[in-house]
Amino acid sequence: MTSLNHVLDISRQDLQSRMLDLSVVSNNLSNFNTIGYKSIRTNFQEFLDSQLENGVQIASTQTLVKQGAIKASDEPLDMAIEGEGYFAVRLPDGKTGYTRDGQFSLDANRTVVNANGYPLIWNGTIPENFEEVRVRSTGVIEYRVGDDWTQAGSLQLYRFPNAGGLLFLGKNIWLESQASGAVQAGTPESTNFGRLQPKNLEMANMELSEELTHMMTIQRIFTMSLRSFQQTDQMISQAINMRR
Amino acid sequence: MIKGLYAAASSMLSNTTRQKILAHNISNLDTPGFKQILASVGDWEKTSVTLPMGREPNMTNMAYVGVLGLGVDAVTETDDYTDGAVKATGNELDLAISGQGWFGVNTPKGLRYTRDGRFVRDAVGNLVTIDGNAVLNQNGQPIKLPDGKIVIHSDGVIKVNDQEAGRIGLFGFTEPRKELVRAEGNLFAAAAAPTVTPSGSIQQGFLEMANADAAAIATQMAVVARTYEMAQKMVQNQDDLLAKTINTLGRI
Repeated sequence: MTSLNHVLDISRQDLQSRMLDLSVVSNNLSNFNTIGYKSIRTNFQEFLDSQLENGVQIASTQTLVKQGAIKASDEPLDMAIEGEGYFAVRLPDGKTGYTRDGQFSLDANRTVVNANGYPLIWNGTIPENFEEVRVRSTGVIEYRVGDDWTQAGSLQLYRFPNAGGLLFLGKNIWLESQASGAVQAGTPESTNFGRLQPKNLEMANMELSEELTHMMTIQRIFTMSLRSFQQTDQMISQAINMRR
Repeated sequence: MIKGLYAAASSMLSNTTRQKILAHNISNLDTPGFKQILASVGDWEKTSVTLPMGREPNMTNMAYVGVLGLGVDAVTETDDYTDGAVKATGNELDLAISGQGWFGVNTPKGLRYTRDGRFVRDAVGNLVTIDGNAVLNQNGQPIKLPDGKIVIHSDGVIKVNDQEAGRIGLFGFTEPRKELVRAEGNLFAAAAAPTVTPSGSIQQGFLEMANADAAAIATQMAVVARTYEMAQKMVQNQDDLLAKTINTLGRI
């Protein structure tokens, strides 16, 4: 038999789930201008407990790895990946982090670093007397002395069987996880790896209109569940006050 | 008198169940592949009403007056299998079925069917649901996807880097209302094997959303609120009448 307290619980659970979804959407929206950001989706599922309706539950939050728009930039070491793959950077604790954020530059020691100062993992060095650097679509980094361009080395891209399962560390960095599967390295433009677009950056991959309509949906469902909660509460009070 | 009390109480009980179903449907308004639950109420048992003999002069037999309803029956829950609206998401492994058919899913509890097409390629390349359960091909076997760009055709054929890599199975039921039972996590269980070759097609980059209708739920909720209130008032009225009967009838 159904009890009204159980009905209250269904609505309460739903209100909490909508709050969580709202923070996921807010996070997506606030990263609208973050280079290489991948939007996150809350995956809701119907919740039944031995055939008894229990409302909704959150099965997972999923990183959606679809391609973001590519926009031109002026920096010589800015690069965007068109297709699959991640850049690898060395994190301060020695671990390897993966990112789609291609805002690289040279620091004072001529190390190629990302926007957070984490060094890019590649197999070359830039000599002291260089005048200019550039990246080719295959990942080769070249430097110029006088009129001559010399190959300094090349970078590889890294891909995963399930990139959506990577562990988000923050600062646009993801870590390899059990869900992502083992990392595979490859040259840009080779099979299953994307190509590099030098002097370009990949924008965040969500549609503003989509996120905003989702936010409105959340708000409407929240309002409805709240109404249902209040109504159930009123029904309980009527049941209690039945005996005068 | 007591009969009326129970009839009113039965209405309060059935509206509690209706409220639960509405709350459940609201919670799942944004759940892909959710099929809403419909609640219907009907008359419960009826009893015949008779006048006892001797009530009127010369009345030697019991007189039949008519039938009296004893309230409402327990709520019957039916699943609404109409299609939900389809939403574009642009994700490679979001799939929607337009028309008839169900995806087959292998779970630890057995074979299940779903219209929720949020799939992922897991760490070892299997096509799985967001819970990690294997999505089945047309022969009921798990699907293994090689690395590469995935294109899924409307007939379910999967191509990875232009090479055929399997086919997503669609399973059909002529009367899902009779053949399927709701299970947890947007899944449905079937007592027997699929009964029909489904005519539906698969759309890549789309999701079928819940088929629950917010406007209908809102109006039903208003009906529940008022019916419950009325039933509660009826219980009180019957109680008042009973009190009057007990307290005043015996007084001279």
